[in-house]
Order: sequence, then structure tokens, then C-alpha cells
Amino acid sequence: MKRRDFLRTSAVAGAALTLNFDGLQAALATNTMSVESAPDMVAIMGGEPAAMLDKALEAIGGINQYIKKGQKVVIKPNIGWDRTPELAGNTNPELIKALVKKCLNAGASKVTVFDHTCDDWQKCYKTSGIAAAVESAGGLIVPADVEKYYKEVSIPNGVNIKSAKIHEALLEADVWFNVPILKNHGGAKLSCAMKNYMGIVWDRRIFHSNDLHQCIADICTWHKKPALNIVDAYRIMHQNGPQGKSAADVATIKSLLVSPNIVEIDTAALGLFNQVKKLEMEAVGHIGKGQTLKLGSTDLSKMNIKRIKI
Amino acid sequence: MRKQTNYLKGLRVLFAILFFIPILLYFVDFTGKLPQGLHTLLHLQLVPAILGGMIGILIFQLLLALVFGRIYCSVICPAGVFQDIINRLFCIGKKKRKGSMRFSYHKPLNLFRYILLGITVLLALVGITELVVWLDPYSNFGRIAANLFRPLVIWGNNILAGWLMAFDNYTLYHVTIKSVMLSGVIAGLVALLVFVLMVVFRGRFFCNTLCPVGGLLSLVSRYSFFRISFDESVCNTCGSCERSCKAEAIDSKNMAVDTSRCVDCFNCTSTCPKGGLKYRFNPPFKKAKKEEEAVADPQSRRTFLATGMTVTASLPIVAQAGRRMRHRNTNGDQENWGPVTPPGSIDLERFKDVCTGCHICVVKCPTQILKPAGLEYGFDYLLRPHVSYKTNYCNYECTVCGDVCPVHAIKTLTPEEKKVTQVGIATFIIDRCIVNTEGTDCGACSEHCPTQAVHMIPFEGTLTIPKVEPELCIGCGGCESICPVNPHRAIIVKANNVHQVAQLPPEEEVKEFEIDDFGF
Repeated sequence: MKRRDFLRTSAVAGAALTLNFDGLQAALATNTMSVESAPDMVAIMGGEPAAMLDKALEAIGGINQYIKKGQKVVIKPNIGWDRTPELAGNTNPELIKALVKKCLNAGASKVTVFDHTCDDWQKCYKTSGIAAAVESAGGLIVPADVEKYYKEVSIPNGVNIKSAKIHEALLEADVWFNVPILKNHGGAKLSCAMKNYMGIVWDRRIFHSNDLHQCIADICTWHKKPALNIVDAYRIMHQNGPQGKSAADVATIKSLLVSPNIVEIDTAALGLFNQVKKLEMEAVGHIGKGQTLKLGSTDLSKMNIKRIKI
Repeated sequence: MRKQTNYLKGLRVLFAILFFIPILLYFVDFTGKLPQGLHTLLHLQLVPAILGGMIGILIFQLLLALVFGRIYCSVICPAGVFQDIINRLFCIGKKKRKGSMRFSYHKPLNLFRYILLGITVLLALVGITELVVWLDPYSNFGRIAANLFRPLVIWGNNILAGWLMAFDNYTLYHVTIKSVMLSGVIAGLVALLVFVLMVVFRGRFFCNTLCPVGGLLSLVSRYSFFRISFDESVCNTCGSCERSCKAEAIDSKNMAVDTSRCVDCFNCTSTCPKGGLKYRFNPPFKKAKKEEEAVADPQSRRTFLATGMTVTASLPIVAQAGRRMRHRNTNGDQENWGPVTPPGSIDLERFKDVCTGCHICVVKCPTQILKPAGLEYGFDYLLRPHVSYKTNYCNYECTVCGDVCPVHAIKTLTPEEKKVTQVGIATFIIDRCIVNTEGTDCGACSEHCPTQAVHMIPFEGTLTIPKVEPELCIGCGGCESICPVNPHRAIIVKANNVHQVAQLPPEEEVKEFEIDDFGF
């Protein structure tokens, strides 16, 4: 057998092994058809980060649907700033901790966390509480401050960005979760799931000088999509983003959104943001450009959204 | 007898190691893991103590030299210990005659060394610290460690880190070196070369001719209470002490020791097979002995005084020249803007007068934005650290450079003081800005501004463009470092030659937000 054939066969076999017939078996066992299919998006409000994650993942079909035993998982939070969790500059560490645990419990062989920070990476990792959270949960937090960690990949569907250097942890991963925090942003206007992609690439200045919104949409067309986008809106930064100055920039709205679709979750997040501060869809150009690039729809009316209040 | 003398040399070596190793590690540590308190060791250095106006340390060091001789040069001074290490390495594998016993007595170059010392001091008094910067042993050692040893250590680390990474071990991490500049490397190499050549051919020649600290201490150690002297009843003038003396200060034929050059290394006392040299309480006022006369001949004292007078008389001329040299044009277009000096340096002229260019701040700056200057800011700023925002910016709450500066050229700031210390002001050049030239959103500058002195205001359509509030700006360079416009950025920090106090960003009320709907 040729090496290539062998690899191909084992890949198919592997994929077959991972097929999940639980639903079918359950349906056969009860001889009924399940009326309620898994929702396209789950929005949840009123709980603590870990508890909301629990319920949201359960509602969307359970984490086991996304992670197979032995897979390498990457979690990509926003850890851009040397800010404490109370100032909402970075993704909530409790959420990250709970998610790392869930991934490991689901059988992940390794859970890696990183962000290409803006402030000094060690300060960001520490002050955000995320380094401690990841380590206590058994995950691995890795540096992303040096170009050598990044490898060039092609972005064939990008308009302005045709290739980018992406962190190797993500290139090696089997599954990844995009876990931004919802924030106001001086340049991109809204910092959420799509904007969070800027932390996986090395050269961000290219983004700023080649139409920021288009570049954000472009990088989201990279073929390796996150299994889920999980938007932390426990505390959101409604002004002076993305860094923020003080607690006055923060609104604690105790919410969480989960969806595999990045345009849809950012559209929903913008709606949530508008509950606190007015922000037009037109201003957040990258969401519309994402729709143009067929990454998803900004029309949430046809979507099956499960809303939960605790 | 011999046991006691060996013990002295052992003690000297032990203390030298206790001072040297922490200082060396402090300079090459790139992880920030070493306790920051180690900078206290740097405050003991004489030139920093004098320039920093730390009278207590100066008096202590002079008293130490008066009582025990130049122990400073063998123990406290890292450049002194470093030269001993070079000597040790040089001696490896060599016969004694060509190695550790290769020295011989030379007459002191008193005229040269005291004129040089005089000029150095006088120039420093009128604010021209060039000679201090080049000759200070501590700063020279600092430049060798910071610009030569540290990059080597980091390269070693990077190789190891890459290797460990393959095993998912991130205890070591890759470090990019950004603060090593050509000027620093050249300065380090020159200093290293000078040390090596002088040590190989003439032992502690640097310390006894060029070094201003050695010169100053020699004036005191001439009269030191404890000193090495011959025991004429035992000595058979075999000359082994003379050959072991790296300071070339022992005249064995005349049984005389020049205590002005002796650095108390105790090599001679441990070499003498007879115990013919002793370190003992033997102050010059006890009795004007033969050896004292033999070395400190009146001729040299007379020349010294005459030279001193001449130099003092020329003081006003030197001062005038100095002033002219220092009044450079610091205005003009932005390519000629003056250097941004570190927060806590207060004022450009003051900073130039005090900084000795030891590069400990360069080494300790966590974002590596402090860089040794070449000639871009003029000859009188050479090797001083300036703030460069090309790759990174000054962390809002960081005060490390001021904390470690042994000269207090960079004053220690509290985080509260730091947050309002305005080292410069961001200057926005709209003709270069992406938002204006390309008609697309950017906002990278405002994004990185910790005080929102750079904030976005409405422009065309939904576009927003930066605006600077100068009174809020502290010149941290967050904006400049991230501006995507090349090669000339659209927002640049213009240095304040005298640092100002910025306003604190206005406090805003913390509001409670109650929402009960998702909004979609």
C-alpha cells in the first residue's frame, strides 16, 4: 500500500469512527423523531461565566459534538491588554478556565491557549488572570510574541489579504474555539468574534493600512474555522475600547453567546451591544463584508436562536 | 604565618565573587526573575555615587580606602574583578613565568594619571561627562555585559527554548533582542579589547592610569592604615612578590610597595615563600618609612600640584567651551527632533550631565524601547539611552528604568507620578494618516493610547480619525509604535526637552447597566 493511500484510508476510517449515531439510536429506541433540532445559536443571560457556558454548550448539543478523543484543541481568547478582569479588556478568565476543563474532560489530548497581545505578553497573560486560569485547569498557555511562532498560510478567498502568518499552535490544532470579549473599538468600532482573529496573525499593521474592515473579513475566510465562537459578554467595554481607561467603560450584563457562525454571532453581539450603547451596523463594516464573503448572514430572523435567562 | 596570608587572598576572592556574580547576572538577566533589589549593588559604585550626589557612599568608600587600601578595586568594582578573570583565563596552561608570575615593577605614571583625573573631574564639573562615560570602570563593564554578554545569553536561551518547545515545555521562551545597537556593541568591544590588552601586557594598568576611580582612591590609599609592607628580617629579595603583582607596584629590590597602586589582591602575600610581605596596621603617620619615601618621591607630588593649579586656572575656558558644545539646536523639523529621554530623567541637559551610559536601564526595560544612542543626537548624547518607539512603547505603569538607575539620572517614580510624567507629546500628521489618504478605518493609535489622549473623532461618513489632547498625552509612544504608515509614521512623539506634568484623564462615573433583553 502506498503511503498516501494508507494515510487517506486511515483518515476516512478515522472520520468514520468519529461519526455519532447516538441521536439515531435514541430515535430508534423511542421510535420517535426528535422535533427540536440543535439551535444555530444560543444566547444566555443572568449567570456566572462558568454556569452560562455549561448551559449554553448543553443547549447547542454538548461539547462532545466538537471534540473527539485525543484531539489537539486551541482556545483563542482576547488577552490583548495588561488589564485586570474587572476592566473588561480581556476575555473572562473564569470562562476560559471552565472551557479548558470541558475540553480536557471531552478527551482533548492537549488544550493550548495563546493570543498575540498588544501590551507586553507576560504582563497580559498574568494580569488578565488567564495564565493562572489555564494552568489551574490543566491547559497550556504559550507565548505568541515572536515571529518565529508564526507560519505563512494562504488566504485564497481574501480580497486584500491573500496570505498571512498564523500561529503554529493553531495550524497544528484539530479543533479551535474563538472566545472573544465584546468591546467597543476605536478602529474596528466593535471588537468581537471576527476582530478576535487579529490575535492569531503576526503582522497586524498590514491590516490597518489595507482597509481594516476588509482585512478582518478576509482573515475570517481562512479555511480552518473555529468549531464554535463563544462570545464573553459578562462584562463588556462600551466605550474607550479596546483598551479602556477605567471601570466607567465597563457594563456588567452577564451574557454569553455561542454559535459556530461568525457573522451571525457578531450580528447578535452588536444587537446586545446596542442595549448599552448605540452603534450602527454600517459603522462595523467588517460584519457586512463578512456576509459578502459568504461567511454567514446578518439576517438573524431566519435563524434558530435559543435564548435562555437564568 | 602563611596560613593567615592565604586566608586574606581567599577572602578577597570570595567577596569578589559575591559582588561580581550578582552584578553580572543582573545585567544579563532578560527574564526579570532576579530580585530587583539587586540594583543596590550598583549604588555602591563610586562614579554613580558621586554623580548621583550620594555623599554617604562616597565617604564610606573613601574611608574604606583610607583604612584598608583599595579593596574597592579588587572586590566591589565589577571591571576590576572582570580584569582578574581575564588574567586568570590568560594564565591557563601557561608556565608561571609567562602566566601568573609575568609582571615586573614599573614606575607609576603619576603625571599622566593625575592630569587625566583632573581633566575628567573638571570637565564633569562643567557638565561635560564624556570622559567619565568612557573611563568609568563600572559603566564600561556595564556596556560589555549589556551589549556583548547579554545577547550571547539570549541566543543560548533561544536555542534551548526552541529545543524545549518541541516537548511542549515553555519554561524558557524565545526572546527577540531589540535593544542592542551598533554604538553599544562597539563601545562594549572597545572596552573589552582595552581590558584584555592592558591585562595581558601590564596587569592592572587600566586601573592605575586611565581609571578615574582608581586615581581618586589612590590619593587616599597612599595613606592607608592597613597596608602591605616588607618584613625586612625575613625577605631575601627573591622577587617572586614583584612578579606576582599585577599592579606592578612592588619594587622588591628596594623592598617598597606603592600603596597608591596596590589593589589589595594579596597575591604577593600568598606567593612569598618566606612570609616576607605582611598586610598589617602600618599607617604612614606612625613613622615615615623608607619604602614610603622611595615611592612617593617629592618630585611627583610637586608636578601633581602644579598640574592641578594649571588645570584649575583653565576652568573658565573649559566651561565656556563646554557650554557652547552643549547648546545644540533641538528644534527644527522632526527628523532633527531631540531624543525622548526616559521618564524620570526630568530634563535633557540634566540627563546628559549625569548619565554614565552603563546601560542597566537598557537591559531592564521590559519592552526594550530604551536604546543606546549613536551619533544621531550629537556627540554629547553618545551611548546615553533614548526612547525609541519603532517597535514598542512605554508601559503605562512601568517605572523600572528609574528604579534601577544607579546614578539617579533617571529618578525613581511612583506609578502615580509616572502616569502623569509627560516625556513628549504625540504629534498627529493628518496628511500621512490612512483614514485621510485611503479613506478606510484604522484607529490603531487610539487603540493603544492608555489615557485616550489620542481619541477618534467623526471624519467622513462613518469614518473616524484620531485627535490628540496634548495635556492628557504622556508621550508613551503607544500610538507611534503601532501606526501602520511607512516609512514615516502619521503620529510621532515629539520630545519634551524638559519633562512636563500631564493631566490625569478625567474620572468618569461608574454606571450600572440593567438590561433584560438580548437586543436581537
